[in-house]
Amino acid sequence: MTCDEAIKLMDGYLDGELDPIANQTIEQHLRECQKCDEAYKTHSALIRSIGKATPYYKAPSGLRERIQASLREEIAERSPRSVSRNIPSLFPSLFQSKPSERRAVPFGTQWSWLALAAAIVLAAIIAFNLAPRLQRPGADQFLATQLIASHVRSLMANHLTDVASSDQHTVKPWLDAKLDFAPVVVDLSSEGFPLVGGRLDYLDNRPVAALVYQRRKHFINLFVWPAESGSAGADKRITRQGYQLLHWVDSDFNYWAVSDVSDNDLQAFKQVFEKQLPRR
Amino acid sequence: MTQRPEQEDVGSFEEVMLPHLDAAHNLARWLLRNEQDAQDVVQEAYLRAFKSFAGFHGGNGRAWLLTIVRNTSYTLLKKNRAVDLTTTFDEEIHVAGHESVSPATILEHSEDAELIKEAMDELPAEFREILALRHQEGLSYKEIAEIAQIPPGTVMSRLARARAKLKEYLAARMSK
Repeated sequence: MTCDEAIKLMDGYLDGELDPIANQTIEQHLRECQKCDEAYKTHSALIRSIGKATPYYKAPSGLRERIQASLREEIAERSPRSVSRNIPSLFPSLFQSKPSERRAVPFGTQWSWLALAAAIVLAAIIAFNLAPRLQRPGADQFLATQLIASHVRSLMANHLTDVASSDQHTVKPWLDAKLDFAPVVVDLSSEGFPLVGGRLDYLDNRPVAALVYQRRKHFINLFVWPAESGSAGADKRITRQGYQLLHWVDSDFNYWAVSDVSDNDLQAFKQVFEKQLPRR
Repeated sequence: MTQRPEQEDVGSFEEVMLPHLDAAHNLARWLLRNEQDAQDVVQEAYLRAFKSFAGFHGGNGRAWLLTIVRNTSYTLLKKNRAVDLTTTFDEEIHVAGHESVSPATILEHSEDAELIKEAMDELPAEFREILALRHQEGLSYKEIAEIAQIPPGTVMSRLARARAKLKEYLAARMSK
């Protein structure tokens, strides 16, 4: 790899967006080329400081209400007139052909039958591909809905934490006293995920612990409850409505992390969390 | 078969989209550089989003909403004849060198929030946007491509140009 190529790929490398092979090539180049290595260090320092030093403009109070009011106004205007909207159709020829417009083509009717047949085949294909995804992890999907709802509620209703503290030795005893299990609470400030606090929640028909962590300006809810014995399995990742969900199980607990941070961030969160767990 | 936004739709719309209000406001604020405009644009964008909510089939709600916020912002920028939409002339960026200012000096000032904010505000809109999406929202290249409506392969080079430009402006401010 030449220096020019290395410089060109540097941003992708720093953002963790290169494929593994490109990653390796650039790492090797940085080991060998001092000039590029220095450029890399300055560049990564700059990149870190952009995120840290620039202000994040949170929505001012009142904007939410303004929006909600304008949405309701919109509905109020719309309802009495009852405007029927055209739904863009997948098969315009099938749905839009009016009798009067029927052309005198000998195959006209066959055509629409063909289109109908095609539609049925297509629907079958879609159903066939979708069905396994919908059926198998049904329980997971239901739980995912609950988890997202709980995450959203915690941010909406100003009820993010019951015990607000970045001190794991405050949060843990508080949770221990309220639950019939003792979740592990670790602070990950040094890893870029400061602990914000803890909360009681109710999921999957049982009380659970919700640990709240922060990533830049975003929040991560980590839901924890005891694992059933022998329930260990592979990690699960679900993306829904812009939220990332990551599920894993260790010897004692079920974990579900929910957030609007990127998938990479959530994976990193899981890694540092597991690293900080006291060895048993 | 006809679908109209109704009372119950507002509920589900708000549940899916209002959590991204801060992200929407932040993006609009960086693009417009003006608080009042940002709020107007966000309100307008939510209204537009609501009207086309039937076309949202799950998936990434934040990216979907931010695309609308971005487009609404650009409409206003164009109306105000903001001349900074794209980088037409000022394109030659020398990644390697800001001869007068050493990397060490840049590092020294890299914690200076005010300086960085000023330099970022000077950038063209498409650079401000991509830096905010990446560094403040932590979005992936794929999501950024969707919101900025550019091919995924362009995201890295545009980010690189935006950062190089920022570095250049920082250097210019430091050597003053």
